Amino acid sequence: MKKSSILGIIVIAVAIAVIISTYSNTSTYGSFKDAEQTKDELHIVGHLNKDKQLYYEPTKDANYFSFYMRDNKGEECKVVFTGTKPQDFERSEQIVLTGQMRGKEFHASKILMKCPSKYTQDKLEVTEAKAKQANI
Amino acid sequence: MSTDFQGEHLMPGHLGQFFIILSFGSALLSTISYFFATTQSNKLDQSWFRLGRWSFYVNTFSVVAIGCCLFYIIYNHLFEYHYAWAHSSSTLPVYYIISSYWEGQEGSFWLWTFWQAVLGNVLIWRAKSWEKPVMVVVGLSQVLLSSMLIGVEILGSRLGSSPFILLRDAIEGPIFSRPDYMQYVKDGNGLNPLLQNYWMVIHPPTLFLGFASMIIPFAYAVAGLWQRRYKEWVAAAIPYALFAVMILGTGIIMGSFWAYESLNFGGFWNWDPVENASLIPWLVLIAAVHVLIVFKNTGHSYFTATLLTLLSFVLVLYASFLTRSGILGETSVHAFTDLGMFWHLVVDVLVFLGITVGLLIWRWKELPFSKKEEETYSREFWVFVGSAFLALSCLQLVIVTSVPVWNAIFKTNIAPPTNPITLYNIFQAGFAVVVTFFLGFTQFLKYKKTDATRFYITTLLYLFVAALLTAVVVYITGLYKLKLVFMLAMFGAIYGILANSKILADAFKGKFKLAGSAVAHIGFALLLVGALIAAGTSKVVSQNETGIIQVKDFDKAGDARENIMLYKNQPVDMGGYKVTYIGDSLVAPNHYFKVDYKKYNEAGKLTEHFVLTPNSQANAKMGLVSSPDTKHYLLHDLYTHITAAPIKEEEGLAAGSTEIGHDEHDATEDDKHYNPPVVYEASLGDTIRFREGYMVLTGLNKAPKLQNIPLGKNDVAVGAQLQIVSHGITYKAEPVFMIKGGNTFDFARKVDDVGLKLRFSKIIPEKNKFELTIYQQPESQKPYIVMRAINFPYINFFWSGTIIMVIGFLMSIFRRSSELKVVEVKGKPAKTKAGTLV
Repeated sequence: MKKSSILGIIVIAVAIAVIISTYSNTSTYGSFKDAEQTKDELHIVGHLNKDKQLYYEPTKDANYFSFYMRDNKGEECKVVFTGTKPQDFERSEQIVLTGQMRGKEFHASKILMKCPSKYTQDKLEVTEAKAKQANI
Repeated sequence: MSTDFQGEHLMPGHLGQFFIILSFGSALLSTISYFFATTQSNKLDQSWFRLGRWSFYVNTFSVVAIGCCLFYIIYNHLFEYHYAWAHSSSTLPVYYIISSYWEGQEGSFWLWTFWQAVLGNVLIWRAKSWEKPVMVVVGLSQVLLSSMLIGVEILGSRLGSSPFILLRDAIEGPIFSRPDYMQYVKDGNGLNPLLQNYWMVIHPPTLFLGFASMIIPFAYAVAGLWQRRYKEWVAAAIPYALFAVMILGTGIIMGSFWAYESLNFGGFWNWDPVENASLIPWLVLIAAVHVLIVFKNTGHSYFTATLLTLLSFVLVLYASFLTRSGILGETSVHAFTDLGMFWHLVVDVLVFLGITVGLLIWRWKELPFSKKEEETYSREFWVFVGSAFLALSCLQLVIVTSVPVWNAIFKTNIAPPTNPITLYNIFQAGFAVVVTFFLGFTQFLKYKKTDATRFYITTLLYLFVAALLTAVVVYITGLYKLKLVFMLAMFGAIYGILANSKILADAFKGKFKLAGSAVAHIGFALLLVGALIAAGTSKVVSQNETGIIQVKDFDKAGDARENIMLYKNQPVDMGGYKVTYIGDSLVAPNHYFKVDYKKYNEAGKLTEHFVLTPNSQANAKMGLVSSPDTKHYLLHDLYTHITAAPIKEEEGLAAGSTEIGHDEHDATEDDKHYNPPVVYEASLGDTIRFREGYMVLTGLNKAPKLQNIPLGKNDVAVGAQLQIVSHGITYKAEPVFMIKGGNTFDFARKVDDVGLKLRFSKIIPEKNKFELTIYQQPESQKPYIVMRAINFPYINFFWSGTIIMVIGFLMSIFRRSSELKVVEVKGKPAKTKAGTLV
């Protein structure tokens, strides 16, 4: 057998191992209901419930932030994050949480949020312009 | 529909748009002309060739002209253009106007076409017999890139995205039906504060020069296959490939430095999809360069060399698809948003992938596969194996980064790994183990055949020394607390440094040709050493040692209590330092927080004292953005950033006030900001204690200054001179008591730093005492910051490794291109006798 064939086999074997391990390490997108049934970490996509209070009191505990999120199935759950409130959290449009359920709270280890296209904000702020229009 | 809009400057936009079309047309013409120049049978006819050249010059000119128009627009704040409005503002200083220039997709595409045009001219100047076929490929890439900027509607869908689109065309809004709408567009959106960093002025141009230069090895590989000059292209392509590797590598590291300096994700590398997207083609091209050199020296591994070279450029395009199509939306924070170019980008990738696959199949039977098998004890074989592993490491990066792409193709709904960073770290460290050992021991091998006994003796000797050194390093840095794979990677890296240092030492004895690769390898291995220690053993130091207030029902999730709360002027013990938040200052729009670090030795003597000023920007448009500040030591860095603080919006900041809760107009309203007052009766010289210190009534001032209140004959005003000491700082305050027209008044004084409000409320003559009313702010009302501090040990290895690696690349480029000249002068084909070199 040629050495390069042996190498080829090793390369293919490693490649397959990489794919399998990647696949086994991926998680699933789920809902809060799914989270209640598993102990694994999973991703939940949802929206911030802006009616309920965001709790972050750095003076009491700088590492405790909680809020209420509605997942894509409409279920609401209290979310606790060990850390500071991400900047601009109130403005988020969509939130992706990584974490697991603890009792009735979802403990997030990571929060990824999308703000209304923060960097190429295609919304002209017309509030000021409108006020002036009224005067004319 | 034809409203006559006022105050618009349409000229630069029309001009710019004209040049975009011209650049597209001329690139197309150049490609076609070069194609016919390559394929025509009449070798004397130079007309296609000349047309190809001239249209490429026109292309270069129009690309530069596009740049000038866009710069004119941004520089003159013509906010009627969407690009200027979205990415800059009138307050932006010039050097950030430059970075706003490539903040958007269109600007960065322009940068890419610009560099490609420059490189095309270099090729016209230097490529000689390769010019025609190579320029076909460069031209084609230029066509596809400039089509991204067209922004014209064709058959109902917009092709590309133009930087010259007007605001009123880009955004819907009732205001745009007004002819005088420009009156209301006073300022642009401004530049994202994270990009307001000097690295962002030079990092994107470097990175895009790297991307752009990767077309050249690709073009040579294509030309070699197309023109059946299978072996010749390799020698010509190697210096360009090394150049691309050098520049792209520099660009990537600059990006990581920018991340370290101004992003707050706490480190220099985050395996973010956007980072991976530039790393993947880089690693593949490095693998390609090695196999190209192997082929050049031995004639082995032709197919792998070609395939990797071709793939590296396809991966550049794939990376650009990943970051620009919006497909990574849910996995990356800083991917560009979709500009409706999804399919356009897919086509771009597919065209070049098609060329790669098509050419290889077409020429398959003619490819110069070597009949002989490599020797086991030969450098070519093991460099080849090492490169294969390097390419495999990219495979892992590609697979994980592309999870959203798999979802889109296979209609699945897989979420990325919950902890991708750990996954990447472990896998890539594993590959690094293999790669670093290879870059070490291959140095002891010779091309063709090596004496096995001698090889084993040197290899094992160096392995042994490396093992000893690794043990020491692992012990000192605390790396042993981590997974085994990281220790092995350290072993590999140290071994790589030692083995290559030997080669470098030999190089100084005369074999100077080898110096370049040895230096680059040492740099790479050092970089790994630095990255392993800094990332592996970085420690969050901002953990409060004085005890924390537990919130009810909260059980600790993970060990994430990484933020520390600091009240103003209240020192806290943190990681061996006494840390105090001593104040803030404002250089609009940045809000700097002064954090004072003091270190004492066991005897209580001050050994170290410095102040870090991390800042936060309260930007009305972009929200609040923090940038860290770092204390650099030779052997470690102390990195500090603000994670939360009571910060006012920009407007409030401009007024110059940063204190919270001050409402002077209504005294009773103001008192709500304080705890219930405490009344003291004090004589001169008495001391009054309060929560955070004490105050002494040092004297009375019979003639206190009172603004705007004239005192009558029988009126009296007395000031109580107070000396307040809190946390080692002394303040003075003088509340005033006044009798005017038979009524008593008093004027309170505040010491905001200590959170005190003081009133001189009564004089009690019978006891010869004075009544003082003291208001203290509750803890929660005091100025505070929440910050996070991380210690990055030995990070300087990472930076210095990078610099050494770049120097190594540079040396190799000079060497490889000087080889090329020798060959050309001799007039022989670019094939060197195997074994004579290296």
